This record gives sequence, C-alpha cells and structure tokens, in this order.
Amino acid sequence: MTPPSASALLEAKALTREFDEGQVKALRGVDFSIKEGDFVAIVGPSGCGKSTLLQLLGALDRPTSGTLLYRGISLPDHPNPAAYRAREVGFIFQAFHLLPTFTAAENVQIPMFETDRSASERRERAFELLKLVGLEHRLDHFPSKLSGGERQRVAIARSLANEPSLLLADEPTGNLDSENAHSVLDLIIGLQQEQGRTMVLVTHDPTIAGRAGRTLRMIDGRIVSDDKR
Amino acid sequence: MTFFTVVIRGLWRRPLRTGLTLAGISIGIAAVVALVGMSRGFEKGWQVGLKARGTDIVVTNRGGSLTPKPFDASVRDRIASLPHIAATCNLLVEVTSVEESDLMILSAREWGGFAWNNLELVSGRMPRDATEEAVVLGQTAAEVLKKKVGDPIQIETKQLTVVGIVKGGALVEDGSVVLSLPLLQGIIGAPNQINAIDIRVTPSTTEQQVKELTRQIEQLVPEVRAVTVSEHLSHNEGFRLVKAMSWGTSLLAILVGVLGVMNTMLMTVFERTHEICVLLAVGWTRGRIMRMILYESALLGLFGGVVGVAIGAIGVQVLSATPAIRGLLQPDLSIALLGLSVVIAVAVGISSGLYPAWRSSRLNPSVALQAG
Repeated sequence: MTPPSASALLEAKALTREFDEGQVKALRGVDFSIKEGDFVAIVGPSGCGKSTLLQLLGALDRPTSGTLLYRGISLPDHPNPAAYRAREVGFIFQAFHLLPTFTAAENVQIPMFETDRSASERRERAFELLKLVGLEHRLDHFPSKLSGGERQRVAIARSLANEPSLLLADEPTGNLDSENAHSVLDLIIGLQQEQGRTMVLVTHDPTIAGRAGRTLRMIDGRIVSDDKR
Repeated sequence: MTFFTVVIRGLWRRPLRTGLTLAGISIGIAAVVALVGMSRGFEKGWQVGLKARGTDIVVTNRGGSLTPKPFDASVRDRIASLPHIAATCNLLVEVTSVEESDLMILSAREWGGFAWNNLELVSGRMPRDATEEAVVLGQTAAEVLKKKVGDPIQIETKQLTVVGIVKGGALVEDGSVVLSLPLLQGIIGAPNQINAIDIRVTPSTTEQQVKELTRQIEQLVPEVRAVTVSEHLSHNEGFRLVKAMSWGTSLLAILVGVLGVMNTMLMTVFERTHEICVLLAVGWTRGRIMRMILYESALLGLFGGVVGVAIGAIGVQVLSATPAIRGLLQPDLSIALLGLSVVIAVAVGISSGLYPAWRSSRLNPSVALQAG
C-alpha cells in the first residue's frame, strides 16, 4: 500500500466499485487526493459514477477494490463507520432527506444522538444552526410546511450538527429553482470557507463547479481531468 | 427531543395501525387476565370453602372430574380410628342444574357432621332431621334461584322445601344448596354412596403428621386419594383441566398478539426504509436503529398490556356477575397476575420486534438514498 500524502484528508488509489457481480462497473479505477480545507467539485454526465464516489467517501458503501484513506485510515476497514459518518462527515443530498415526522429543529438534532450532548445542549445547538442558515423562525415547522429552499437549509444545518471536517454534497441545488439554488449555494460555500471545512460537491452544473477551487471531471467511472484554480 | 421522543414519534406515525395493533394485544392480554383470573378464582373459591368448613384433609376417589366419582360410605369406618383424626364428615357433592340455574353446587352433608357447623342462619331454620325433605340455601344461591324461606325447590325428580337461608363464610358455601346426605342419596338412587370425606385433625397435629396421616389413609384404602386441602385442588383433574384450558387459550391469544405486533413492526420497517437509511447516513449506529424498533414494539406491548389488564379486570367482574356463574367463583385478580400479564405483553412486544429490528439494521443506506 502506498503511504498517504502528508497533508491529504482523503486519498483514493485504483478505487473501483462494481454492481451485479461485475456486470455494472460504476468506478473503474479512480485516483485522487484531497487536502484539508479544499473545495472540490466532481462533475460529469449522469451515470458517470460521481454519486457512487460520494457514497464511498461517506462510508455509506464499500469499494470493490482499491484504497480509500481518510486521514491515513482505510475507510472500508474503518472499525466504526457509523462514528465516522456521525462525527467526521456532513451529508447534503439533492432530495434533502429530512424526516417528515420531525420538526426542523428535531431534524437538526438527529445526528447529535451519537454525541455526548444533553437534550438541552442538542436543542440549543439546533437553534444556533438554524439561525445560521436563516431559519430561526421555522424551528417547529415540519418539512411539509417548508419550501424547497428552506428544506435544504434545514438539511445544511443538520449536516453541520456535529461539526464535521468533511462536507459531502450531492447535487445540493438540483431540486431548487434558480433563485433558491443561488442562495443555498452561497450559503454552503460561505459556511465551507468561513469554517475552513473540506467540501466535495457533486454537480452536473458547470457554473456551480466553477465556484470550486478544483474540479474533477468524471466520465464512465474514471476521472478524466483534474483542474485547479 | 430525547430518544424516547423518536420512539413515540415512530409509533405515532400511523395512529390507526398502532391503535389496531394495541387493540389486538389488549384483547389477547384481556383474555389471559380473564381466563386465568377466573380459573384461579374458581380454585381459590373451593379452597376457601373447604377451609370455612374446617376441613384439613379431603378423601376422594382416584380420578374423576370436577366432582369426584362416588365411592362407598363404609370407607369412612375404615379410616376413622387412625391417629390425629378429630372428626370426619361424609359428603356427596354434585355440580348440576337446579331449576333455572345451569350450574349449582348441590352439597349433601352427613347429618350431624361438622360440615354443617359453619353455616350461620340468616333466616328460617335448619332442617329438623336427616329425613326432612328440606334444604337450606346459601345466600347467593337463594338470590340466583330467586328463592325465599318456604318456597318449593325441585332437586332432580323430588320437590323439597327451602327452610332456611344461610351464610357459609366462603363463596362456594354461599353459592350452594345444602341438604342432608341420606336425602340426596335417596333422590339420586345411590344409597351409601359418597364422593368425599372431609377430615378434621386434632388441634395439635403438625403439618408433618397431617402428611403422614394422608399416607396412612392411602395405605389403608388404596382405592382412595387423601390430600390436604391445599393439595386437593391441584390433584383434581377437573381443576387441572380448567387450568390447562385457560392457559392454553391464553397462549393462543398471546400468539395472535405476537403475530400482530410482528406484522406491524415489519410493515413499519418496510415503510420507513428511507427514514432508517437517513438515520444510518447521519451516523446512527445499527445498534441504535435496532433499539429504536425494539423500544417501539416493547412500548406497543406495554400499552397493550396495561389496556388489556384493564379490559380483562372489568370483563371478569362483569362475567362473574352473570347469572350462570354468579356464586360459583370470585375472580382472583391478584397484583401478581395483573403484573405478570403486563410483563407477558412487554415480552410479546420485544420478541415480536426482534426480527423487524434485525431487518432494519441490515438496510444499506446507499441504495435507498440513491433511489430517493
């Protein structure tokens, strides 16, 4: 195994992911290294493997072969992937994935159950985060009573619940109108830059990718270009 | 918000289905409480009745049903002289229909025997002698049969007269029609036949000596069984049958409850696949997901158990007041039985939640989130 680069937060080598006993090859040998604090966009056409790659980075799935390291630790062999997801990673999904039977404030508290925070600390932190995303007046609203933009803001607040080092965003503005998409994107990028987090954002929109410091272009399960600005 | 809030919210997601599942468990637990409470009450009632008569040992035929098979009255003469026996009383007890009542205890007692002594007159008088065609009724029996002193009463083919109403100090005694032994033997055409001998031991007899006495009686008359009052009912096949039937029916009710909760929890896991995957994605451990599902099913069991105990307790009170059963038993709704029923309900909840919980923890978040 190649030793990890000194400053790499994430490092992938010859990463593959196959489905249906090898009939579908979503990733065909991916290599990259992402440093702490980077904002990386992954672009490419539908089905090129970018969402699969994001799932692997979030330890939601395991690669078929290859190496994937987080701070030098192999993610597929991580002793506690749930703890990794809870404490190190914040997910922002295209479809928001809020829990419909919980209010905005409660949705934000959900990831905090895996920490030592007390119930009152969880409530307080949820309030702070919702304030941060401009939704302090929507604390007790259920997702069904929120607009698309507001739902995604709640999801952003949730992703920051446990102060993760790594934000993984999968088409975060894909389900929003252009006005909301713009403000949500500004919010995400603002939070990433202010707090110095690492962010990997999957998109097929070149304008969004243009705001990232680095763009990995994928086609057919491979990275075909790596542009840094 | 606490973890408990998450659990409650899960149950509240589909109130109708949760309600129906609760109803299912409640009915099952109500059946347990009612059936077991009734059978225990039945047993206890007879035991208290025997104690009220001052009986220490009961001698009956081996085998038999709720009321033991008759045997010859001369058996008493063979055992009466054994040590520690203070008094004996021959009895012929039938559970039969009397006029409008389908289940009535007909208790024929040896004239002058100690089994008459606990009967306290409320009105009227006792029969004058062994041959007077008269009965006394326990208070409840009088109410059930709607009889007062002076009324005629039809026993089998013979019309007798109610000469007194008595209190017997126990439910079974109060629910009995009491008459002299020769009278009933004559009516049913079984002279010299009895089906029980009540034995009272001398006051200083130890428990060990009572045990020894029962052994001696059985040695002397091998065709009979002699048991202490507390053992009497556990040896009685009729009572054992009642007990087995009540527990058997209860087990069926519990099994239906288990299937109901399991079905609900499996449905809930299938329906909430997406939600569970989100929880996994935001870092919930598989253990916490399993706990969530198990707590939900345990809570279903707990609520169902509490409601079921309430329904069962009310149900048996109503049942025991019906004319068919009144006077025969006082349901035994001990705290232990009610507590046990709730424990059973929670156990039903937890055991039914195990498989759904395991299923939920095996979900792969990536697949569901990609689809969503």
